[in-house]
Amino acid sequence: MSAITETSDHGHGHHPGLHHQYEDMAQQTESYIVGMWVFLTTEIMFFGALFFIYTLYRWNYQLDFYIAHEHLDWKLGAFNTTVLLFSSFTMVMAVQSAQLKKRIAVMNYLGVTVLCAITFLVVKYFEYSSKFADHLYPGVNFATDAKAAFGEHAFEAGKLAVNMNHAQLFYGLYFCMTGLHAIHIIVGIGIIIALIRLWFNKANSVIHDYVPTEMVGLYWHFVDLVWIFLFPLFYLMPKPH
Amino acid sequence: MASNSSSHTHEHHIVSTGTYLLTLGALVVLMGLTVAIAQVNLPAIGILSGTVVNQLVALLIATIKALLVICVFMGVKWGTTLTKLWVIAGFVTLPLLFGILGDYCTRKYEQQPGWEKIEDGALPRISYENPAKPPADSSELNVKIRQ
Amino acid sequence: MSSTVITTDGLLPKPQAEEVNYLNVEHTISSWLLTGDHKRIAILYLISTTFFFFLGSVAAGLIRYELTSPAGVALESDTYNKVFTAHGVIMVFGFLVVAIPAVFGNFVLPLCIGARDLAFPRLNLGSWYMYMTGGSIILAGMITGGVDTGWTFYTPYSSMYSNTQVSLVLVGIFIAGFSTITTGINFVVTIHKMRAPGMTWFRLPLFVWAMYATSLQMILATPVVAITLLLVVVERTFKLPIFSPELGGDPVLFQHLFWFYSHPAVYIMILPGFAVVSELIANFSRKRIFGYHFVAFSSLAIAGLGFLVWGHHMFVSSQSMYESIVFSLLSYLVAVPSAVKIFNWTATMYKGNVRLASPMIYALAFLMIFTIGGLTGLFLGSAGSDIHLTATYFVVAHFHYVMVGGVSLAYMGALHYWWPKMTGRMYAEGIAKANAILIFVGFNLTFFPQFIVGYLGMPRRYHYYYFAPEFQAYHIMSTLGSSVLGLGFILPAFYLTYSLFKGKKAPANPWGAHGLEWETSSPPPVTNFLETPIVMDEVYDFDPVSEHAENMKALEKAEQAENTSEGQH
Repeated sequence: MSAITETSDHGHGHHPGLHHQYEDMAQQTESYIVGMWVFLTTEIMFFGALFFIYTLYRWNYQLDFYIAHEHLDWKLGAFNTTVLLFSSFTMVMAVQSAQLKKRIAVMNYLGVTVLCAITFLVVKYFEYSSKFADHLYPGVNFATDAKAAFGEHAFEAGKLAVNMNHAQLFYGLYFCMTGLHAIHIIVGIGIIIALIRLWFNKANSVIHDYVPTEMVGLYWHFVDLVWIFLFPLFYLMPKPH
Repeated sequence: MASNSSSHTHEHHIVSTGTYLLTLGALVVLMGLTVAIAQVNLPAIGILSGTVVNQLVALLIATIKALLVICVFMGVKWGTTLTKLWVIAGFVTLPLLFGILGDYCTRKYEQQPGWEKIEDGALPRISYENPAKPPADSSELNVKIRQ
Repeated sequence: MSSTVITTDGLLPKPQAEEVNYLNVEHTISSWLLTGDHKRIAILYLISTTFFFFLGSVAAGLIRYELTSPAGVALESDTYNKVFTAHGVIMVFGFLVVAIPAVFGNFVLPLCIGARDLAFPRLNLGSWYMYMTGGSIILAGMITGGVDTGWTFYTPYSSMYSNTQVSLVLVGIFIAGFSTITTGINFVVTIHKMRAPGMTWFRLPLFVWAMYATSLQMILATPVVAITLLLVVVERTFKLPIFSPELGGDPVLFQHLFWFYSHPAVYIMILPGFAVVSELIANFSRKRIFGYHFVAFSSLAIAGLGFLVWGHHMFVSSQSMYESIVFSLLSYLVAVPSAVKIFNWTATMYKGNVRLASPMIYALAFLMIFTIGGLTGLFLGSAGSDIHLTATYFVVAHFHYVMVGGVSLAYMGALHYWWPKMTGRMYAEGIAKANAILIFVGFNLTFFPQFIVGYLGMPRRYHYYYFAPEFQAYHIMSTLGSSVLGLGFILPAFYLTYSLFKGKKAPANPWGAHGLEWETSSPPPVTNFLETPIVMDEVYDFDPVSEHAENMKALEKAEQAENTSEGQH
């Protein structure tokens, strides 16, 4: 096998953000973006399995899930959705500022994104607390006071109309899915704070190359994507006939 | 891909702030729309009941929102072909997982008596109206016990 | 008395400076544990996978020992459950899924596409640390009480009733799964973006095609099992019901989700084996693989179809009959690409210049053993016969034929083939050839009786069979075979380690093979190639005619030189 040799240029003229295994920035940038998307594909499958379990159980227990979901406050959910959408916007503005090399703007936008994320978590905390207060946590003491938990719809002609077992399944899924999403938000906050610190310290890895910021942005948008689907499925359930 | 020592920065497409603001606006409007439609009981369409129509509309709006986030905020619209392929890959494999529903959908067509799906459960259970009569002694079993 | 200094300048030959390669460039521990060099990471994986393989083999030895008597020998039922679970978990998650991709994929992949390193070297190192963390947690779980659910962790036993270290081991597997995912990400981006100039897709060695298919499955399937096992942990720890039957949940849902990963997982295990065997057969027949395009696309077909057949593990698990029919049909379909490969490899050897070096013996053993393993899979894939064969030793024999006879033999073949490249030393070829035959004999002696005893009804995961004492003869044969097999796997540890110190220095291309990895020195320099290669010829481009002519000319010249020098004396 013949391999005519050609020296690859590692001398002057190469971009300061270029890593040794790449030939030029275009190759490196595309590699990082594609790599991040491949990781996001794994996250799609990760959350997707939970969405599937939700689909299966809701399809089987439509009325019970509907009655159980009534304790969820759609107004809080809508507020959280707005907050997350806005944080997506500030995140993408941070990436744009990184492309334009505007360091202060990057840090400001990233800071606002973190604030939005914390707001989301605070609202989540209130939501979870109200669930615990009404014993809506799966276990022995589940929904000891059904009227307070589920309201009038829980009863039909004086009898309990909702199957408590299936309501427990609903809340099991609710805590699993929103909990996993919240964990992703917490991790995201940590990563964004680390990114802010890198920008603050004018680290070479972020000053010369916008791609690390873009990759954090992709992760954050994915977190927003999951919530875009979680919100209607949990909070805006239509009433089954 | 012969290496030319190009030191000029990537010609990466920088999206304008206006586009991002418009997208944010569209996303919030769609969110308001989905909340508004959820308050209304939509009528049935063909064999799809009103509930299903409501759910489908909500999922449709969510999909449009997702597409906006993916194409504009995540930059896929201006990305390379390889990026677009990998964006699609996850959403193509996920429906394969939903193939598991094929099991649950077809259980009710099983011909074996006793596998009917009782309303109260995803599990098929033996119908308790006609429990199988347990054998009186081992001679009724169709298994030969080894000596 | 004056002293005279005698100088030897110009009289003695200058000592040759040992060339700098990836092994001797730095010797500190941190240069190994914090390396970004894919070759060093591959060596780290080699050591850790060997360690886990050894532990899993000890568990296997205990199982075989226990089964030599119909009433069991030394273990209680609970302990036996823990032993076979340990064997399964350590072997599957600690060795089979990881070994060939992480050791040989890491080492050889950038070399054979002409890259300097993988796309994400630090992620690669993180991958190894995740593997070690996950593996350590699994071992901690095994030491502090073990798990008795089987490596399949079926609910509701694992999620509600088992009193063993299920949560700990599942967390370990979860973390190790991320190692797999990151390796897959690395390989996919490397293969797409970092091929040398001139290395088009259809000039790629088939090793790369199969590694790409493996990575696809790693990326798309592993997250599903990650979330499923996490849900079992959550159900155990926080009592959040997902699979609880008394609340209306379905335990079979766990099986669906588990096998949705675990079936592609077995293809994740075998596809790298196929990758290695393609290389071995092409290079040791000195002939282009017959039907290169078919073999390349069959790897992708296996990756794709592998996602559609998970239900064949659940024929008797109350899965709907109609679903079983569909899965049965699809299982037969997925056998077709594997068969395509077997036929094409065999056709490659026809009229090839076959050289029976030790890696080739492993490849031939693979062909024979994998064919049997694959065909017996069809008995299990047919829903009717599976009713009788499932949960018997027939299943055990089938998957050991494909996993041990397939993956492990391919691993040994790869180890022997690339050992000179990785270490720069040649091992004792004679012992290696004998060892390969020893493994082949021991393997068949161990697992062929298991087909028979399984067909006769021996259940799997039982440590006694007093109801059928006539099975003892088969079990004793199997245990004897396992001793031979164990010897066959231990010997390379000795002669390969010996070669590290006393082996002949290996040239760049000791096998006369074709591939970019053989164009660089053994061991390779840190950046793999001193200058970026440009690929001008097709893959597996052996030219026996002109090479033979060159060899003859070189031989003539050597004989002439000898004659003239003899004539002089």
